[in-house]
Amino acid sequence: MQVLLIEDDSTLAEALAQTLKGEGFAVNHLGYGKLAIEAIKTDLPDIVILDLGLPDIDGTDVLRAIRKISVDLPVLVLTARTSLEDKVNGLDLGADDYLAKPFEVAELMARLRVFERRASTLKHSGLSIGDVTIDSIGHRVLVANETIELSRREFMLLKALMENAGRVQTRDGLESKLYSWGEEVASNTIEVHIHHLRKKLPNNFIQTLRGIGYIVKPR
Amino acid sequence: MKSIRTYLLLALIAIITLVTFLSLLQGYQASISKAQQLFDDNLKSMAAMVANANQDQHHHNSGTQELPPSVFFQILASDFTLLANSKNASKPLLSEYDNVESGYKYMNFNGYRWRTFILKDDYLQRWIITGERSDIRYILAENVVTASIIPIVLAIPIAAFIIWIAIGVGLKPLSDLTRQLREKQADDLSPVLMDSTPEELTSLVATTNALLQRVNDAFVREQQFSADAAHELRTPISILKVQLHNLKNNEDISEEALIPLTNGIERMGLVVEQILSLYRHSPEQASAKQSTIDLCAVVQNIIAKDYEQIAMKQQQISLLGDESCFIKGNEFALEALVQNLVANASKYTPDNGEIQVTLETIPNARRLIIEDSGPGIPEDKYKRVFERFYRVNGDRHESDVLGCGLGLSIVKHIVKLHNAEIHLQRSVQLGGLKVVIDFPEK
Repeated sequence: MQVLLIEDDSTLAEALAQTLKGEGFAVNHLGYGKLAIEAIKTDLPDIVILDLGLPDIDGTDVLRAIRKISVDLPVLVLTARTSLEDKVNGLDLGADDYLAKPFEVAELMARLRVFERRASTLKHSGLSIGDVTIDSIGHRVLVANETIELSRREFMLLKALMENAGRVQTRDGLESKLYSWGEEVASNTIEVHIHHLRKKLPNNFIQTLRGIGYIVKPR
Repeated sequence: MKSIRTYLLLALIAIITLVTFLSLLQGYQASISKAQQLFDDNLKSMAAMVANANQDQHHHNSGTQELPPSVFFQILASDFTLLANSKNASKPLLSEYDNVESGYKYMNFNGYRWRTFILKDDYLQRWIITGERSDIRYILAENVVTASIIPIVLAIPIAAFIIWIAIGVGLKPLSDLTRQLREKQADDLSPVLMDSTPEELTSLVATTNALLQRVNDAFVREQQFSADAAHELRTPISILKVQLHNLKNNEDISEEALIPLTNGIERMGLVVEQILSLYRHSPEQASAKQSTIDLCAVVQNIIAKDYEQIAMKQQQISLLGDESCFIKGNEFALEALVQNLVANASKYTPDNGEIQVTLETIPNARRLIIEDSGPGIPEDKYKRVFERFYRVNGDRHESDVLGCGLGLSIVKHIVKLHNAEIHLQRSVQLGGLKVVIDFPEK
């Protein structure tokens, strides 16, 4: 996985590059927004980590430029600002995720893993957690190498949970992922789908946080 | 001085009363003597009338006149024998022994004191006496004078009432100013606006506004400074965290050697975050917009976001009760509130412990309960934990947990911001701390 790190603080960038390399990522580092945009134009990375506070141009402008070049390129925004407006802005402008400084390395890695898994369901078609493999191109799910039958919504639900393995998905969050605006959602629909999914999956594959949501833990 | 209005009213009424009293006293005396003079003139003309009406030189018994008991007349011959008289004065009142001359005189007879006028009729050589009872004269005079005084005395309370209102109207700008200042929210440092400022208050208003402006500037500077300082520290702390992570992967360095470093960095990060949120959520910052927030969604999102910490300690967390819980509030502040309480619960609860969040509807309020199976807080410390930088058992916290003692004071600020109430209890169900927050229904 090719990561482009856009961060003007060279000490942080170096430390982060070392960490990411240790986790098996290939890292390129750039300290200026304009340079970064050029670099993305010539050679598209797999993941971008973008600090919003850059010396030459505003990070949000870089984000806009990236979105013009590629719609799918996963961008993780880092920022020292954490007001709500910033957060909303960042996500509105097309950041895939958002991390406030100072962040835990584990948190950063969890988010990058989600990107990685999402990329692999997109490009390489397969994503496995334990015995469960999801094949997004063939729209199949294999449990211990046996295909199981899932409805379209059950499949989407499982994909969302597995791509975000290790992170809790709230019921509201899953609902908005599954249903477009305006569609009527019965209050227990997600529970019903999860209930059906569980019967077809290994025990405890999907864990419930009562009243909060669901989580698939990476093995 | 309790009230300018009362003071002015009392002073003015006292002055009016005093002046009125003095002038009334003067007027009373003058009126009484004027009345006496009037009555005297009356007596004199009565005597003249009697002299003209009766020209007899001899006494007629049949001629005794019936008059009201308060007046009398007598006509005496030059030898002081009675020529004519009213019925109530049947004996001659003068004798040759008296030093008789014309004029006014007081006489006593029939058990009363009389004011009399003696007229010497030179042409017929006789004396004419007319008289009035002096006590009745006095009462009459007094009645006349009193009738003119009473309205003036009665006017004083009316004057008091009008003055009271007039002073109130006059002092209205002052009470407006007071009300505006009193009703100002803690965060509201905007200048005081007056419809029309009277001359006397102009400089007071100007000074107050200048002071408010200065305080406001100081606030902005202080907030800006602390926010800037904390923001500036975020990147260096990130560097430390990342580099620490890198060091942990280095096999030459023992894990234990890094623990103090880890703790130090953790703590530094916490202080920075909490200082930032303390200022962000202080009541002075209450201006942040309020909207209708689903507390249930806030709790779900915060737990989902911070689940890593809870998962690491293999704690069970659940959200019970109402599935939606709408309150009026500031989303960012409420997130910080829930985040602090959940993080505290997780921090102070041992591995495999349990955390339970409950949302309830109670009369006139929405209740948020966060309880855990940790050691709890001794009851006598409930008050102190809300103070800034206070930690139960000081820095040698038995649980060896990182913290800087700002979390609950931030919580308290946010609770205050929402006019909510917070109570600490021991959880009956889980045995640890139970935090109960009641948000008033809008």
